[in-house]
Amino acid sequence: MIKKISMKKKSEKNIISNGGPVIKMVNVTKSFGELVVLRNINVEIKKGEVLVVLGPSGSGKSTLIRCINRLEKINEGKILLDGKDIYSPDMDVHKLRTRVGMVFQQFNLFPHMKVIDNIMLSPIKVKNIPKDKAKEEAMELLKKVGLEDKFNSFPHELSGGQQQRVAIARALAMNPEVMLFDEVTSALDPELVKGVLETMKELATMGMTMVVVTHEMGFAKEVADRVIFMDEGIIIEENEPKELFENPQNPRTQAFISKIL
Amino acid sequence: MAGQGFQIDLFIKILPELLRGAAITVQLTAFSVAIGTLIGLFAGMARISHYKIFNLPSAFYVEVIRGTPLLVQIMIVYYGLPALGFNLDQYTSGILALSINSGAYIAEIFKAGIKSIKKGQTEASISLGLNYMQTMRYVILPQATRNILPALGNEFIALLKDSSLVSVIAISELLRRGMIVYSRTYDAWTPLLGVALIYLCITIPLSRAVQFIEKRWEIHD
Ligand SMILES: Nc1ncnc2c1ncn2[C@@H]1O[C@H](COP(=O)(O)OP(=O)(O)O)[C@@H](O)[C@H]1O
Ligand SMILES: [Mg+2]
Repeated sequence: MIKKISMKKKSEKNIISNGGPVIKMVNVTKSFGELVVLRNINVEIKKGEVLVVLGPSGSGKSTLIRCINRLEKINEGKILLDGKDIYSPDMDVHKLRTRVGMVFQQFNLFPHMKVIDNIMLSPIKVKNIPKDKAKEEAMELLKKVGLEDKFNSFPHELSGGQQQRVAIARALAMNPEVMLFDEVTSALDPELVKGVLETMKELATMGMTMVVVTHEMGFAKEVADRVIFMDEGIIIEENEPKELFENPQNPRTQAFISKIL
Repeated sequence: MAGQGFQIDLFIKILPELLRGAAITVQLTAFSVAIGTLIGLFAGMARISHYKIFNLPSAFYVEVIRGTPLLVQIMIVYYGLPALGFNLDQYTSGILALSINSGAYIAEIFKAGIKSIKKGQTEASISLGLNYMQTMRYVILPQATRNILPALGNEFIALLKDSSLVSVIAISELLRRGMIVYSRTYDAWTPLLGVALIYLCITIPLSRAVQFIEKRWEIHD
């Protein structure tokens, strides 16, 4: 019930802000050598929207989101961030990446740094924020993900779920406009998944724009504003979660949904 | 006195002289490994660069140095550079030759060390907006350096032994001191076994230390 209300607020905010989409992919094509991984992708993500990307393994989900922060280079088409081509000459790639946070399946925390230093690295080195202020903000973020008592620990001293929450805090430390999540709970023991999903849900409630690759149907149903289903580099179907899960149109979507539900 | 085998009296008498040589040997090696590490760091990073202007010269350097004898390199530096107008004393020539030599081996060590760090680390770092150099400095190299410390230790030991070759350009390091004693006393066994013994006294504890570090890290990882 509470969730519903906050979602509503979110969409009202969208209408008020009334800008174009935060991210717009236009006819994006991406190949690795001969292998075409994304074919003519068109997606728009509005401010505050949570987009879940579904699809079988190898369908191009990771590649899709990795194109958004230029971890992968597209071959054709355009990607716009706030209306601006991310490949335009005056778009600095490092600056772009501070505006688009990314969280990985394998956490990828820096093992030689304490939790707090993992989070402060980018604010200090990239954004030139003074150390005291960066630390204050990092502690604030740790509180948000429920790990303020772990600030002085090394990553290997934490559980997988805690590490992933630190990774989320680390990405948030740059104040990104969009967060990308690539199967962030897939490497976790089942009992640790919930905590990470809670953190993500909270982020969504606060109005963060999110693109989430996940197999967690519960999360998709509850949190997503929109779901896209991909197969072999093509967006097969796109809809609100309830519609897509209960009434899939394409046979491939139907087969996939029936398999995972 | 000649041909009487190892004489402990003589050994004790010449020990201070040999130890002064050992000190120079250790000093030469330490300087050379330090400079070699700096060379190796940059040559190693250049080696894995995608840019040909970096990786080709680096590959050339590593191949040439590893494919030619150290003794030849020492001679070229000592006799060759003056012909080009660079007059270096023996000691500087020795350090220069040893540094260039160890730099090539250490470049390969760094290359392997950097490659041993998972791709996810680089991806996470650049995703946070850090550039290539920042990623190297704050994320990759600290981890790589820790991984390669044992290999660097072994390189130090290898160079310590190889540094005996600079005795040919009359640097008064350990082996040369031994040879001087030999030419004075005509006793080969005492000074040369003494020299060997002193090398062992340095290398054995060092290689034990390297093994110890390796073991400890295996447990912790
Ligand atoms: N760096 C790469 N080089 C070559 N092929 C790749 C690379 N990354 C991904 N692929 C291929 O692209 C396809 C899509 O991969 P990916 O986007 O990871 O799919 P998903 O995340 O949906 O499982 C797969 O066939 C995969 O093997
Ligand atoms: Mg994937």
